[in-house]
Amino acid sequence: MRKRELSWKTRFWAVVRYELLWNIRKKKFLGVIVVAFALATLSLALPVLLSNMIGQSLSQNPNYVVSTGAGIGGLGMFLFAIVIVMNSISGEFESGTIVPLLTKPVSRTMVFLGKLFAALITLLSAYAVLFIYMAVGGTIVYGLQNNLHLLPLSLFGTILSTFLWIAVVLAIGALSKSSLIAALGTFGIFIALTISSPIISIFSDQAWILNYVPGGGTTGYIAGVKPQTPYVPGIAISTGTDNIAANLINYALYPSSNVTFFKMSALIGQSQQLIELYTESLSIVLLRSIAVALAYIFGFLLISWYAFKRAQMLE
Amino acid sequence: MKLAIETIGLTKRYGSLTAVSKLNLKVEKNTIHGFLGPNGAGKTTTIKVLVGLLKPDEGTFKVLGQEVHGDMPDVRLRMGYMPELPKFPKHLRGWELLDIYGRMYGMTKQERVEQIPKLLDMVGLKGREKDFVGKYSKGMQQRLGIAQALLNEPELVILDEPSLGLDPVGMVEVRELIKEIAKEGRTVFLSSHLLFEVEQICSHVAIINRGELLISDSIQNVSNKLSKPSTMQVEVAKPSNKVVEAVKKLSFVSEVTQDGNKLIIELKTHDDVRAQISQEITKAGEVIVSMSLKEQTLEEVFMQLVTKSQGGRAE
Repeated sequence: MRKRELSWKTRFWAVVRYELLWNIRKKKFLGVIVVAFALATLSLALPVLLSNMIGQSLSQNPNYVVSTGAGIGGLGMFLFAIVIVMNSISGEFESGTIVPLLTKPVSRTMVFLGKLFAALITLLSAYAVLFIYMAVGGTIVYGLQNNLHLLPLSLFGTILSTFLWIAVVLAIGALSKSSLIAALGTFGIFIALTISSPIISIFSDQAWILNYVPGGGTTGYIAGVKPQTPYVPGIAISTGTDNIAANLINYALYPSSNVTFFKMSALIGQSQQLIELYTESLSIVLLRSIAVALAYIFGFLLISWYAFKRAQMLE
Repeated sequence: MKLAIETIGLTKRYGSLTAVSKLNLKVEKNTIHGFLGPNGAGKTTTIKVLVGLLKPDEGTFKVLGQEVHGDMPDVRLRMGYMPELPKFPKHLRGWELLDIYGRMYGMTKQERVEQIPKLLDMVGLKGREKDFVGKYSKGMQQRLGIAQALLNEPELVILDEPSLGLDPVGMVEVRELIKEIAKEGRTVFLSSHLLFEVEQICSHVAIINRGELLISDSIQNVSNKLSKPSTMQVEVAKPSNKVVEAVKKLSFVSEVTQDGNKLIIELKTHDDVRAQISQEITKAGEVIVSMSLKEQTLEEVFMQLVTKSQGGRAE
């Protein structure tokens, strides 16, 4: 019987390896990757097809890649979070595979951190490939692209936003020990916020509340900068935790700009009126969304860690 | 006496149900100690507490001389555990699983390369190590469970119902395997509800029912302490009153009855007195045709104990 020294690093990487092999072999994960690439391809190819159909050449857009990022919206982030971690803790409790794992000489905290780190690596790899794919595709379709050096910033923002949903899934999973409840619970929160956010954002003068909940947040406009349509006063931005990537890019491009928030007035005749509510700097909007995301991530991860550490194997 | 396991007043409750009650158990080092009890007696709960999957409500316990409080990976480093009907992640191949667990034990690459093929061969999984665990039968997962419990060459091996779910051939193989493990100087603590299994392979036994320890000692001592005096059956050529009276006079004989050519001799002792009895019968001028000693089996002792602990009612 040999005496062995417990090396923190060796054991931690063993847990990461255990989890990574699971992540990349999950059918759900592979399915989402395929769908994400299919959608990315569609978003690149569709404008080309449509412009060919109407006989017009597609105009060059040197800002396409930097403004689109990986093209992953709130729903995409939510789906990535679900498929990566919905089984991480709860699934192991359900199947009983957690028993041999927890009886190895690794602390529960290390198992938790290893699982989290594996989720980060999986997410980073998937998003990085998607970003590169979009960058190459965007350059082919829309010509040479500007500000490609900002893409790592966008990647960071997208990961941070997705990690909030990962933390929510983990917390619900660790508390319920059920993958189904983890997925459905997070979906419920996501849907509730997705439906209520635009309604509150447009019609209520209390839209600031949305700055402090996960999701899209409220909508404001960077006044005077390239209005996208004649009906809006500037570039539309969303203030929520799902939009950190876009806001990082906006801040890098327009660092000293302000964001103005409006609410929709009651219908007057046939036209609607925008009533200005307040204005704040883009840097505040950005920092607040990052701080809120970090607070939620920390809070939910703390809950999951505590529930995991205290969990007893009753069955 | 060096102890591998020592529990003092160990109590575990599930709500209002007391699964283990004030358990004082001592398992000597270098023994095969069976943990016997009917279904629901508290065997698995006790084991789960010992390996850190459950927290006791009262009492303390030591494993390999170290008092265990909370999550202690360094204690688990010195022990191996096979859960009842073990479940392993389906996405890993047999060897991958052992390799990852080996890393968690801090085994070097060299150690893993040497140990894993040896164990796979030992448990009869050689040739199937590259298959995913999801393709393994229940019996193969059970064998993999034994292999992972022995991976780190542990001082203490805890096996929870090791032959559950195995076919008869597999059960025999597992028993032989356990005997081999013990020969290497390890302590084996195994729970079972199969009396003959414990009787065949264990040197010591602890019997538990309804969470209470009924007895813990060597198999021989348990039988001696609890079994009723043995009965000897002697077939003689021509039985006579003279022989019956002669045997009755022996100090260790309590009763002699005659059944045809057979003398049924009730003994007061557990000692082997066949020589004295045959001498007395021969001296009385009789010819012995056959002689057999009927001793109480562990099964009878077990039933006697369990029935007594349930207030005389066998369930």
